[in-house]
Amino acid sequence: MADSESNDGGQREEVNDERLTDDAFIERAVELAILHEMLPDGPSRRELLRAVGKGAVLSALTSFFPLGAAKALAQEAKGALELKELQLGFVPITCATPIIMADPMGFYAKQGLKVNVVKTAGWALIRDKVLNREYHASHMLSPMPLTISLGAGSRPQATYVAAIENINGQAITLHLKHKERRDPKQWKGMKFAVPFDYSMHNLLVRYYVAEHGIDPDKDIEIRVVPPPEMVANLRAGNIDGYLGPEPFNQRAVYEEVGFIHLLSKELWDGHPCCALGVPAAFIQENPNTFAALFRAIATATVHAHKPENRAEIAKAIAPANYLNQPLPVVEQVLTGRFADGLGKIQNVPGRADFDPFPWHSMGVWILTQLKRWGYLKQEIDYRGVAEQVFLATDARRRMIEIGLPVPKESYMRHEVMGKTFDPAKPDDYVKSFAIRRS
Amino acid sequence: MQLAPGIRAALASLLLLALVLGVWHLATLPKASRQNADADYAALMGSPRSSLPAPLQIAQAAWLQLKSPFRNGGLNDKGIAIHLAWSLGRVLLGFAIAMLVAVPLGFLIGSSPFAYRSLNPFIQVLKPISPLAWMPLALYTIQDSSACSIFVISICSAWPMLLNTAHGVGSVKREWLDVARTLEVSPWRKGFHLLLPAAAPTILTGMRISMGIAWLVIVAAEMLVGGTGIGYFVWNEWNNLSLANVIFAIAVIGLTGMLLDLGFAGLGRLVAWQE
Amino acid sequence: MRPFVSVEELGKSYGALSVFEEVGFTIDKGEFVCLIGHSGCGKSTILNVVAGLDRPSAGRVIVDGSQVRGPSLDRGVVFQSHALLPWLPALKNVAFAVRSRWPRWSDAQVVSQAQKYLDMVHLTGSEQKKPSELSGGMKQRVGIARAFAIQPKMLLLDEPFGALDALTRGVIQDELLQICAATRQTVLMITHDVDEAILLADRILLMSNGPRAGIAEVVENALPRGRTRQTIHRDPRYYALRNHLLDFLVTRSRRYRNGAGSEAARTTPTELLPEESVP
Repeated sequence: MADSESNDGGQREEVNDERLTDDAFIERAVELAILHEMLPDGPSRRELLRAVGKGAVLSALTSFFPLGAAKALAQEAKGALELKELQLGFVPITCATPIIMADPMGFYAKQGLKVNVVKTAGWALIRDKVLNREYHASHMLSPMPLTISLGAGSRPQATYVAAIENINGQAITLHLKHKERRDPKQWKGMKFAVPFDYSMHNLLVRYYVAEHGIDPDKDIEIRVVPPPEMVANLRAGNIDGYLGPEPFNQRAVYEEVGFIHLLSKELWDGHPCCALGVPAAFIQENPNTFAALFRAIATATVHAHKPENRAEIAKAIAPANYLNQPLPVVEQVLTGRFADGLGKIQNVPGRADFDPFPWHSMGVWILTQLKRWGYLKQEIDYRGVAEQVFLATDARRRMIEIGLPVPKESYMRHEVMGKTFDPAKPDDYVKSFAIRRS
Repeated sequence: MQLAPGIRAALASLLLLALVLGVWHLATLPKASRQNADADYAALMGSPRSSLPAPLQIAQAAWLQLKSPFRNGGLNDKGIAIHLAWSLGRVLLGFAIAMLVAVPLGFLIGSSPFAYRSLNPFIQVLKPISPLAWMPLALYTIQDSSACSIFVISICSAWPMLLNTAHGVGSVKREWLDVARTLEVSPWRKGFHLLLPAAAPTILTGMRISMGIAWLVIVAAEMLVGGTGIGYFVWNEWNNLSLANVIFAIAVIGLTGMLLDLGFAGLGRLVAWQE
Repeated sequence: MRPFVSVEELGKSYGALSVFEEVGFTIDKGEFVCLIGHSGCGKSTILNVVAGLDRPSAGRVIVDGSQVRGPSLDRGVVFQSHALLPWLPALKNVAFAVRSRWPRWSDAQVVSQAQKYLDMVHLTGSEQKKPSELSGGMKQRVGIARAFAIQPKMLLLDEPFGALDALTRGVIQDELLQICAATRQTVLMITHDVDEAILLADRILLMSNGPRAGIAEVVENALPRGRTRQTIHRDPRYYALRNHLLDFLVTRSRRYRNGAGSEAARTTPTELLPEESVP
């Protein structure tokens, strides 16, 4: 016992003890509160406690007061969920795997949440439905919370990356007729598709072709096309290739229309792709619910990271209610054993991976690229904005609470196509590129 | 043997259909097995198939859907009857709202040249706007996506009803209007007992066209709402590149549209008059 | 005693073109007056002005002491093309008018009134037929029944039998005669059928040709009331009257450019057959 029963004259017992866990803390607090209520006179209370001991006093009190129930009530009150039912949007691509799988595999239920994962027709719609509060939170492309908070392309509303959903997991797919034209230097005049302007896909394909001396705005054409239409457009010859989300790269192979030219893992191993986007208002108004949501998705993400779970996850998310894709396609994406469209089977287990930690440096990189290509025209406080939107500190705290491994730092140097990105010098980084718009 | 002309025509239609299906089936037979196919590789590529689904595939897909019309496989996966019910509900609601605005407004425009001239510019500008253009604006202002899809259905289907009502009311025979005048008929009685029955066939033609448009718009509008509706079903299957299901859905959409049209045609016959 | 209907100095012009001018005549209560003239002389317009459906450029019309300012239930109209509402059966067409006249009547009263007048035009049994199921003659009879059923102060008929064949026309003329006799209706009718005018009218107004048409002659019908179609042509005065009217239409109407004014000459053509009666 850490409370100071040995005090004399008017000093209150205290519950402060860093060694106590949360639950024990509460129990002690309740006990003390009730002791004080039932025996308000300090000196005589302490006399009694000294004489017969706390245990005896408490059991005597229990006959007058339901101590057990009071403790249980206090426990619940601390972590009580403000909302038990949530609406979460998702776009049916494998990037959203943690968000999706948490439904059929019980991760939400375990936190006491009923989450309705609503399939949504596109990124613009996701943005609109989050802005008008039809969704409490949503699957988003990781640049989206940055652009929404900065008010690029919509009215500004503080939105955060609470967690990263997936890393790697994208690819550049080309039409089969380009089997012999795989050097980007030969790509002048070709048409490519990306799912959204504010996406890692757009930023990565631009980075890739620029490194080969091709200007993405002048030498090639980049269009925004919804992912399922990417395959159809490829088949029709309207586009020559795309950097798109899975399973639509594998699907192009499955439909015998295209081949996988390059996995995004080869461009930047560990690059973020999609995120759990959460409006600031939701976190402020429902802190406990958000905590539960984070726990559910973070544990799902870590579960998805393990290769032995991938086959089971594929089965859970492939049906019509979620991805609505043929199981073999989803399996090839998640397990990393896949047909590449050129007659070979490749084995790249890290093809798609899942890691929830939202590095600040990832946010800075995205901002530098958005500035590089002229999507953001104003002066940006790179680190300031990234630290506000990418909730690395918050995620770290929560992940520690549930015993997940976390890095100590929030910034790291990233290797993109062999070139190092130092998040401490974002302006220099932007200026270091030969091809840019700003 | 001599068959009645109607039966002969029906037989000809069936023969034509069989011919089309036959050619289609032949065109979509899978090509010869892939060259140098490694067995493992082939396994990962799935069975060979043509890009356009064969009639049999479509029939299979249709059968699967029709077998469990009330299926509830989760928030984003429901049976076809549920989708249809949602779509019909939305269309009828959107249509009803459009009707409540368009018919009275049409009466006003048809009876008053001043009203016609002052409102006409707005009508001409708003009329050709496609539902896909209305949606972002509607979502931004109305915010609730369910209400938004109903709004889009209403605003796109109102015009034929509006213009036909105006035309019908405006072209009521002069003599009948004179009869009403000599009988000192009150404006309310004139509107209800003269203008309305006189214009009813034209109004109903307008409604028929409007309903066709409303039904057309659901596919676009339902992509907003997510989860239910035949438009959503099309999009969900399109996402899976399952053309067979998309074609099945198109057939359902076409059939339902036809039935709706027949319904309005019947109503039209009820109010038709001959001189 | 003032006349029941008084048309004074009526004129109608469109811009510089004058259709008719200084038209004036009176109608006594219970009188049947026919207006005859060529097309274009504006007789339909005069009728419409009296009905209140049209406005004159000059002059006025007084009916039963009050000036005509617009259409009224007091002045029933039978239109040239029946103007029946095609979605209503015959009975309901007449009932529509009856209901307009007496809005507080019960359904039974309305139906009974409508039926009475349909019986008067010998359409018993056809009450539930829609206009598309009726012949031309029957439709016109319904129109007549409708006009009479509201028991107006005066009745205006605009060439009501123009579209009918001769046989049907004759039958309906008889019916009209009977109803007018029974109801003692004041009537102004437009026609260009001379025989019809002689059969039906007490007085015949002859209009000169337009433009600037006017009432050229006023002819009293020498044949007394109680005329019937079957016997009328046996009356010795019939042909003289008929010739007079026909001559007017064929020749004299052209000569009378200017109307005869309010004091149109009254002629009795049996003995006199005046050549000119222009002031």
